[in-house]
Amino acid sequence: MSETKTTRREFIKKSGFTLLTVGLTERAFFRNLNLAANSALTKAAALSANDRMLVVIQLAGGNDSINTVIPIGGALEAAYRQARSTLAVPAAQILPIGQDAAGNQLGFHPNLPKLQALIQQRKAAVINAVGYPNQNRSHFRSMDIWHTAAPDRIETTGWLGGYLDVAYPSSANPLIAVYMGGTLPLGLKAETTPVPAISSLESYQLQFDTRFASSNPATPQLNGEYNNRVQTYLALNRELAPERTYWDILGRSALDAYNSAVRVQTGIKKYTADPNIVYPANNPLARGLAQVAQIIAAELDTKILYVTLGGFDTHQNQAPAQGGHPLLLQYLNDAVDVFYRDLQRLGKDDKVLIMTWSEFGRKVPQNGNAGTDHGASAAQFVFGTPVKGGIIGEYPSLTDLNPGNTYDTKFSIDFRQIYATILENWLETDSREVLGGRFEKLPFV
Amino acid sequence: MPLDERDKVAHLLRRAGFAARPEEIEAGVARGLEATAHSLLNFETTPDNLDPEPPGLNQNYQQNNQAGPPRGFENFALGWWMNAMIKTTRPLQEKMVLFWHHLFATSTLGVIDPRQMYLQNQLFRGYFNPLLPSQRRTPEDTTSPFPVGNFRNILMWLSRDPAMGYWLDNYQNRRKDNEVGTNENYARELLELFSMGVEDVVAHVPNYTETDVRQLSRVLTGWSVLPVDVRNNYPPVEGQPNNFPRWFAFQPTYGRLQITHDFGPYTVLGVTFSSTGADTQGRRMFDIIVNHKNPGQQQSACGRFLGYRLFQFFGYDDPEPEVINALADVFDKGTPQFTIKNMLRAIFIPGSGIASEAFYSEKAFRAHIKSPTEYIIGTYRLLKPTGYTLNYELVTSNDGLTRLNSPVSLNLTLTFANQMGQLLWRPFDVSGWKEGLNWINTTFDLARFNWAKGFVSEFSVFQQSRNEPPVEQRVPGELTTEAVRTLLVANNAQTPERVVDFLARLLYQVPLSNAARTALINYLRAGTDGTPGTFPFNINNNVTIDNKVRGLLHLMMTSPEYQFS
Repeated sequence: MSETKTTRREFIKKSGFTLLTVGLTERAFFRNLNLAANSALTKAAALSANDRMLVVIQLAGGNDSINTVIPIGGALEAAYRQARSTLAVPAAQILPIGQDAAGNQLGFHPNLPKLQALIQQRKAAVINAVGYPNQNRSHFRSMDIWHTAAPDRIETTGWLGGYLDVAYPSSANPLIAVYMGGTLPLGLKAETTPVPAISSLESYQLQFDTRFASSNPATPQLNGEYNNRVQTYLALNRELAPERTYWDILGRSALDAYNSAVRVQTGIKKYTADPNIVYPANNPLARGLAQVAQIIAAELDTKILYVTLGGFDTHQNQAPAQGGHPLLLQYLNDAVDVFYRDLQRLGKDDKVLIMTWSEFGRKVPQNGNAGTDHGASAAQFVFGTPVKGGIIGEYPSLTDLNPGNTYDTKFSIDFRQIYATILENWLETDSREVLGGRFEKLPFV
Repeated sequence: MPLDERDKVAHLLRRAGFAARPEEIEAGVARGLEATAHSLLNFETTPDNLDPEPPGLNQNYQQNNQAGPPRGFENFALGWWMNAMIKTTRPLQEKMVLFWHHLFATSTLGVIDPRQMYLQNQLFRGYFNPLLPSQRRTPEDTTSPFPVGNFRNILMWLSRDPAMGYWLDNYQNRRKDNEVGTNENYARELLELFSMGVEDVVAHVPNYTETDVRQLSRVLTGWSVLPVDVRNNYPPVEGQPNNFPRWFAFQPTYGRLQITHDFGPYTVLGVTFSSTGADTQGRRMFDIIVNHKNPGQQQSACGRFLGYRLFQFFGYDDPEPEVINALADVFDKGTPQFTIKNMLRAIFIPGSGIASEAFYSEKAFRAHIKSPTEYIIGTYRLLKPTGYTLNYELVTSNDGLTRLNSPVSLNLTLTFANQMGQLLWRPFDVSGWKEGLNWINTTFDLARFNWAKGFVSEFSVFQQSRNEPPVEQRVPGELTTEAVRTLLVANNAQTPERVVDFLARLLYQVPLSNAARTALINYLRAGTDGTPGTFPFNINNNVTIDNKVRGLLHLMMTSPEYQFS
């Protein structure tokens, strides 16, 4: 091994952890265990204790960033129009957003007017040509690479999970991070902190079926039977049995489950709707962000909130009359806009940074099915009041492409630079420990 | 309190299978503990009772310009597997299929076609041979080392499993400038996760070096996966749909003069050898792995690793070095060598040494935390042993997609299993699931207990479809009012005290503490307005069953006692 950087796996091993490969120890469970107690790295790091939050929006499937951020004028536009005979957006419809570091004029897809406004208000940044060496063009593997910040090895915890392990090694808050969706993404997998995947806030509760006890099935909780069951549940789980392995831990966890569910259900009631802030019901990303806003309003000390918008794998008929990639961009535009206005209304906008990511871009030329195939580098975005807005990096060449007839764009910014910037400048955490190395920061926050 | 014979029989049935039903415990006590263990171990002498193959296995449906199984196949095939566990006449065989899935954790996400996952499941059962270009489960293949045979051959068959070839990318592993294979993912996990671990689990010394991983990846170059009917589509194109079926093919060369297999010599774990083709070098490579001992150690690294994993799965967490070493000795020196069944004998057959002593100890008794799968399957086996009614229909809808309509309760169960932290065929990553206390946290608890509530009364789940706000789906659970009443009547459980005592025997197989017993009886007697002792308890009235007995079952399934096996 010529590499000297410490990977998280090795770091956790040094901290006296038993690796998954040989099962795990009881110690691994205790949340009050200070994972990093033995780590000189952590002792040297200033642990984050700020009240800032990160909202992650994953655009799953590989967003066609060439049709999201579009060149205006010059050789770039000529190459764009040549490669995209039917998919190219007419010049008159492109929404100008300014120029990149090389002086290329760029614009947004016409379905992104609100994001154009955010750029103009300096509340959004476009980061051009983001990727990593030896781009992997499999969705699955490239997503894992982004999730784990490890292009050259398989890791079993994610970068956000790593942040939780480093910054909150003994957090007793079951809602320190929340994934709004069905299956927890690898990015949020931590060694010590289980992150809940909550498909809907309504479902984060302990259900008791008391229909039969109530004359009015619509209001079962108003009757004493509901209370009978809660009290019995608490009694069963309060019982101590010190002679039984794990017993007390299980009981305590069950009590915590009930209490945290009550906290969530009570907390989200703090959120009141506003007639000027309407999350469109037919927009899946907006629905997810509506729940994120509820959690933020509930003030449950949540640090990371994560939502996914799927459908970006546009191999065929990418821009039909209705739907397709343009509709996905409209979802992104409308959802980020309403969510940001909601944060302002809640007085939380200065505490929230929003980032998007997608596992890769698409190839430069459209394919024979009026779609685009898996590519390499792509533009990514950050939004929010804390953002230093603008355009970062250079638009990639559409003619000088990756070697090997891949027909896709070279990268100039490593995705881990985005992570390092967010970890250091926003979450105030030592990024080396999370990313296993140092990456040059970018000037977006 | 030392365990009596009945405790030991129940313990064995819970651990070597999924649950201990009252009549199974009685039969076991009548036969004796040792005979019961033998009959579990020699499962091949009992006919199996698997359902017919799931539909959609042999047809390709066009979906989004890709050939694939009908929509819904994965859920349906998982239902098939869960049904096999619920109804099985061979509990230990099914438990071992689950063990191998834990150890060789593979995900549909990387394999792409869930039919290949179904075949891997048959492989783990001993019913599929990856060397045959078949798309079907074969009747018991006596040449298969799965599920309890020679571990060296298990690794060999695993390395040829198309699902694994895709999952860990070995299908892309090709020779490169005489140095390394182009993809070392599988080689690495073969050592790290599947056979010995980074460190010797007893001596805590490194088992291998990075160089070993790279050398091993050279050995595995050209171990590829090909479509059954397309032999000229090599190397596989990234991003192409994983057309089914695919099978293992050793591809030493491809096209004209392009050598894809690295013929060596290689040095793996201190042994130098060269390739003469997949079969011989494969045997050689796996021989080296299973025989590998660290300097100064009396047991093989692989034997210790498997001893640890098997005892952790069947016995208790973090077994002592003596127990691990005893099992490793059986692996190293048993007749024949490397036989999993011998290790299982050493655990389950009473009086066979330190491992079985540990297995039948008070330390092991009711100290294993049920995985979500064990929790769900165990509940079915105790309360509804007939399992799922998997009536299916193939429906082609307006969008031209063929769907497999499977029972709503099955889909809900899988939704909950996912929220409990274990959706089979979808492990988070290559290392599989963390067991033991990792199954327990607030989020997983809520899912566990809400599933239990659904099973005994009515499921409630908020389903999110793409363009709709979440809607609550309410679906009847698995127990009819009449079935619950019949169960109580058959066991002479008519009063609150008797109902509580009978259900505790059924669900826990151990007596309740006085405090818990009192709390549950008080619950049955509590009026629905909350006034103590005023509920008119009468199991002939539906409201008693539907309100109180269902509530009682749910509460009992949320207690710490029910989380233990």
